[in-house]
Amino acid sequence: MQQSLIQALGIINCTILKRLHDHSFEVMHCNQDWFYSLAPEAVGNTLFELSDNSPFLNDFLIDAEDFWQIGNDGQIQSGIWTEQSADKLLRLEAIAAVAKGECYLVINNLEVEYKRQQKTLQVARELLISNDKVLAQHEYIHARLDEVLRINQDLQSLQEPIKKVIENAEFGVFICDPKLRVINQNPFAFSLFEIDKDTSDADPFSIFMALFEKQCQEYQRVIETASHWYGELFWHKPPYTSKWLQVAIYPVKNDNGLLKNWVFIVSDVSRVKYLMQKNEELSLYDNVTNLPNRQFFWQALEKSLQKSAAFFVFYIDVKHFKRINELHGHGAGDHLLVDISERLISLLQKDDLCARIGGNEFGVMLFSEQDQQQCNQFAKRIIEAIESPFYTESHQKIQVGVNIGVAHYPTDTADAEELMKFADLAMFAAKRTAKSSVQFYSTALREASQKRMEMEASLRHAIEQGHFELYLQPILELESGQITKAEALIRWRLEDGSLVAPDDFIPLAEQTGLIVPLGKWVINRAGEMLKTIIQHKPSLKVSVNLSPRQFSDKNLVSFLKSVVDHCGIPAQNLELELTEGVLIDNFDKVQQLLNDVRKMGISVSIDDFGTGYSSLAYLQKLPIDHLKIDRSFVRDLDTNDSDRAIVLAVIAMAHSLKLGVIAEGVENRQQRQFLLDNQCDTAQGYLFSKPVPFDDFCQQLIVESSQNKH
Amino acid sequence: MIQKKICLLGASGVGKTSLVRQFVEGIFSDKYLTTIGVKIDKKVVELAIGQVQLMIWDIEGIDRYSGFQSKYLRGASAYAIVTDQTRSQSLIEGMEIHLMARAATNAPAIMIINKSDLDVAWHWTQNELNGYSKEFVSCFSTSAKTGAGVEDMFKFIAQLSLK
Repeated sequence: MQQSLIQALGIINCTILKRLHDHSFEVMHCNQDWFYSLAPEAVGNTLFELSDNSPFLNDFLIDAEDFWQIGNDGQIQSGIWTEQSADKLLRLEAIAAVAKGECYLVINNLEVEYKRQQKTLQVARELLISNDKVLAQHEYIHARLDEVLRINQDLQSLQEPIKKVIENAEFGVFICDPKLRVINQNPFAFSLFEIDKDTSDADPFSIFMALFEKQCQEYQRVIETASHWYGELFWHKPPYTSKWLQVAIYPVKNDNGLLKNWVFIVSDVSRVKYLMQKNEELSLYDNVTNLPNRQFFWQALEKSLQKSAAFFVFYIDVKHFKRINELHGHGAGDHLLVDISERLISLLQKDDLCARIGGNEFGVMLFSEQDQQQCNQFAKRIIEAIESPFYTESHQKIQVGVNIGVAHYPTDTADAEELMKFADLAMFAAKRTAKSSVQFYSTALREASQKRMEMEASLRHAIEQGHFELYLQPILELESGQITKAEALIRWRLEDGSLVAPDDFIPLAEQTGLIVPLGKWVINRAGEMLKTIIQHKPSLKVSVNLSPRQFSDKNLVSFLKSVVDHCGIPAQNLELELTEGVLIDNFDKVQQLLNDVRKMGISVSIDDFGTGYSSLAYLQKLPIDHLKIDRSFVRDLDTNDSDRAIVLAVIAMAHSLKLGVIAEGVENRQQRQFLLDNQCDTAQGYLFSKPVPFDDFCQQLIVESSQNKH
Repeated sequence: MIQKKICLLGASGVGKTSLVRQFVEGIFSDKYLTTIGVKIDKKVVELAIGQVQLMIWDIEGIDRYSGFQSKYLRGASAYAIVTDQTRSQSLIEGMEIHLMARAATNAPAIMIINKSDLDVAWHWTQNELNGYSKEFVSCFSTSAKTGAGVEDMFKFIAQLSLK
């Protein structure tokens, strides 16, 4: 090869060897400055045998030989390695190439490239390590404090090691009561905000909260809904002090789902920011996904407002991301974020923008779709893309969903902060559904959201104050007309004496997790009622409804045992009602749980049968005792042939599987007669009795008993 | 003289290069300088049965910028997973790397918990650590800064490489 051509091509700092045969080469071009230290045997020789001087190169030649033997045009690379020459370190990379049937070994000296790459990687890795440390500290303190605060009433009982960690921590920790009154703040919280405790009255927590309120659009939502938040705040103290703070906010809730404490952990990450500033790419881009970061998104949002072109802002929250990190590790979590970002980008047009704006949150500015319907279609494409399975490096399948909130500029607001706040609010509203969904911001949504927050607060208060009553609706044996069972139904009594129907607060309780304490209260109260009821009628059962969330509570069986023991009632008098949805969710887990419940003697009925996923397989395999025919099939029994056919099919199927059948919502004699004629065992409904307070129910039993005597 | 290839693997910034420098040159620098690619150092170790020349492959930290390359383990007689006791994540990542390395080679492995001169700032309990170290032939606590444990660790791995 001509030296002049090589020089003209600008590939000067390399050595090109033509392979003659095994380990034997002809020098085509050689940079003597360094190549001879790698292959001294080549000095003065155009043809030479490569010795074992460089173990790395020697190892690469194994792959290279295989490649040359195949003989197809192309090349393979060794990756960078460092070789010690007499006076300096060489940064090299070897390439085995085949071109027009000839085999070549090219060795590039990458000194310049290495320095450039090292500069970038150095900053990136320092960041990675700093972030790792901050995250690990936050997570550790959070996990320990959560554990301790959930159980203990006060901070006096904080275990010594945790106390020590907090006292000596190089990050600020604030522990507050539910009303955000500080119970404890560590010494670093003061030094972080440069407050001398002895000479100043300034309060670090007040400074922190003011920053949070001013700089975080999610502030109101986070506080009012007791949500977790993770992000950055900037603190500036005139004239010269400014710090970047990394903040983790954790609500600590007790077993009843009630807010007990707030924990705020604040780290000074100014150094990390400084490192980022050294590399502009890192300061505006997320180092996991390479997408623009929150800061970039924010700047782009403000710039777009100046242009006045209409657009949609998307706030996309990846559901249950924390669980994926816990189950598969942070590495898998990072891969997932990268895959999600790639899928999002593939849906965007040139002018649209996608950024990672939080741990598991992405923001999109959508310019390419202009009306809400098109935007809705776009959101559905996002859901479809993200719901397709992901695979970890170890080939495990992961599936995630998303909550999407959308706000429009300028229809919803012309203010950048409000746009983000509204999109966040809409996202939070979308979060209420178990499945992926999109929610557009509207004034009605804001009002509904406000009402919901108020309702949630009232519900928490009602749980604390015990403003609930348990009503019983009799379930009768149709043939004899005798009460054999009662369904326990919760009612919420407001302070003005009026009652709130379950349909109005159970869904909210389910979404907020408050269903768990409510459900426990119901089971407890049903147990107490049974204690009295069995004195009137020993065989009578009380059935209680179990929600999906209660059913996934790992302490459910032990709790049921404790209630049965505490109330001194036979477990056989208790029945659990589940909906079909609960059963198919996780078959193995459900089977185990139902077997445990059955072992105790508690029976199980399937509520609202026929309205959900009617998989018949589970009916055979699971230990179930009764099917409850949903009221929607009973309501039009007189007039609707299809409903009649469904009811008959359910009765026949239940009987063939040796299950009892209970018809719900029986309101007239014709319905009763139809059910009786067709061997439906039992029924409940207003024809017999509406749900009544405990005393009224006992009265009904007394009347029944006296009628039987006559 | 017998030559044996050993590999140092681990997350970035755990001190792999510093361990090699301490062992080979007796030098330590507080300044973190990230490694790119591979650097091979040689050192002769005196064992009871004679001399062994170790070829120590110091491999770039495995993280989101640089993936695991199983080809570097080819021909290795032993490898070490290096962790940093000031960073919890380095152990998690180390275990993930170990899992990948095990799929690539049958060579025996040791675990190194480096930076013993600094306060322990990870939150693993002794039980958890015992659980992790069970996966290895042996576990060493080292300080590339003071040199504590470094010589013993490399001697052990030299012996291990002969088995």
